[in-house]
Amino acid sequence: MTRIIRAELQRLLRRRTLLVTAATSVAFAAVATLGVWAAARTDGPPADRGGTTVARLAAAGGGTEAFAAGASFIGFFVFVTFIALVATEFSGGTYRALLLRDPHRVRLIAGKLIGALVVAAGALELAETLSFGLSLLLAPSKDIDTSAWFSLAGAGHALGNYATALVGVAGWAICGAALGVAFRAAPLALAVGFAWAGPFENIIARSWTTGYRVFPGQVLAAVIQGGTPEISLARAVTTATAYVGLAAVATAILLTKRDVTS
Amino acid sequence: MTTNQTAVSVHGLTKRYGRRTVVDGLDLELPSGVVAGFIGPNGAGKTTTMAMLLGLVRPSAGDGTVLGDPLDDPAAFLPRVGAMIESPAFYPALTGRQNLRMFATVGRLPEARIAELLDVVRLDERSDDPYRTYSLGMKQRLGIAAAMLGDPALLILDEPANGLDPQGVREMRELIGSLAHRGRTVLVSSHDLSELEQVCDWLVLIEAGRIVYQGRTVDFVGTAADGLAVAPEHPSDLAVLCAVLRSAGHQVHERDGRLVVDDVDDGHALAASVNRAAHAAGIVLVELSPLRSSLEDRYLALVRRGEEGGKS
Repeated sequence: MTRIIRAELQRLLRRRTLLVTAATSVAFAAVATLGVWAAARTDGPPADRGGTTVARLAAAGGGTEAFAAGASFIGFFVFVTFIALVATEFSGGTYRALLLRDPHRVRLIAGKLIGALVVAAGALELAETLSFGLSLLLAPSKDIDTSAWFSLAGAGHALGNYATALVGVAGWAICGAALGVAFRAAPLALAVGFAWAGPFENIIARSWTTGYRVFPGQVLAAVIQGGTPEISLARAVTTATAYVGLAAVATAILLTKRDVTS
Repeated sequence: MTTNQTAVSVHGLTKRYGRRTVVDGLDLELPSGVVAGFIGPNGAGKTTTMAMLLGLVRPSAGDGTVLGDPLDDPAAFLPRVGAMIESPAFYPALTGRQNLRMFATVGRLPEARIAELLDVVRLDERSDDPYRTYSLGMKQRLGIAAAMLGDPALLILDEPANGLDPQGVREMRELIGSLAHRGRTVLVSSHDLSELEQVCDWLVLIEAGRIVYQGRTVDFVGTAADGLAVAPEHPSDLAVLCAVLRSAGHQVHERDGRLVVDDVDDGHALAASVNRAAHAAGIVLVELSPLRSSLEDRYLALVRRGEEGGKS
């Protein structure tokens, strides 16, 4: 497995890929942080889904509050990225070609998935760090004292936010990979993924709020946000684990049973 | 050529997709050390058979061994097999060298061979260019290099000359010829029979998913001539020469401005007899050459016989 991960990292850790990944992280950190800080409310509850308050920004977890609030969008981005990555392996024939070097089908996809997740983990870390730095610059504009951010509790929040984001992203990645394996063609897999996790879930969940607790995309987004008013983190993690486990098993069965043809 | 060991031995190999049978009870024995041409028209089942030998496609029925290991355990034999199937597949943004490095890492193969292989397939000067900038011939050659990474005992190449220009086809033929040494077995599919005839010492002919011939090329094509082509110095002598040869007891017919004399049980004696008869008639010959059927002629004749047999 380690050599497959190493090979995937050889592919992904090239200057151009790293620059694109870093630029995406910078863009995300800037947009999420500026957006969350600009929309932070002085009085009353936070704005719907992803909003926050000045009081929360001033608390120990305030330094990474913007990252946590905006991270749910990263999940969807990772989802479509992994759909494209995996589906292209099939349509481009590289999965078939690599199988001739290592015929363990599930291991090959799992290794590639882990390799790509290592890069995603690095991008997340960069985004959180940048978001924290930008928050430090923005804090005076809201008269916020940032000393609590550097406390042990602040570090715990930062670590917790990173961990939930990473777990959620991994869940999205596995679901994306499952769609990529199922359809083996990026356009079709992306169309289905977009339609489901984009308009379908969100439109239904707005009129049927139980959707926030049962739809896989909503549950994974809740994991990344560390829980939402509709579903606690613990329940979100449990439900997401069931979905991701199901996706992983279905993927393994498809890989094992299906012929590898172009 | 070593023929006391078998590189590939499969029995009753069958692949069905629903009601459609693509490979139909195929029995294949490939001796070690041969360069075998896998010949058949489009849709005959060549690629599917190769994919089954490589563990990519699971047979509906049948079993066998590849390099002595069971067909259903590709992990056991694939480290000793190199293959390029369907078309070369690499990451477009990576260079040729980076692609080979990645494949070597996945297969736990020595990267030290990469430079040597790039030289063998004559890609050393373009090895640091992105794969997407390669011509079709260069992509095919990189595919061969990737197949050779592990110094395989068995090389399976699916239509390696597909889409190449005449120069590329010639280079590919020379490359395949150079790969067949040190007891390595090569199975190469194509429907370009003239190319295979020049490089293969073993043939496997497949038609509609069934083997119609497997054995030595020389046994299939034959060494004996099928006729003798005879042409006089002056075309106006053709009719006279034809009459002279017929009167000498030969079966003669005209084809493309020359005469073809059939019945070549003893080619030397026939040539001498024809020459004597022409000389006696005062006709100078400018051509007296044996005619041999090409692999293509033999293959098409075999397919025709099969079709006629099927109808009757």
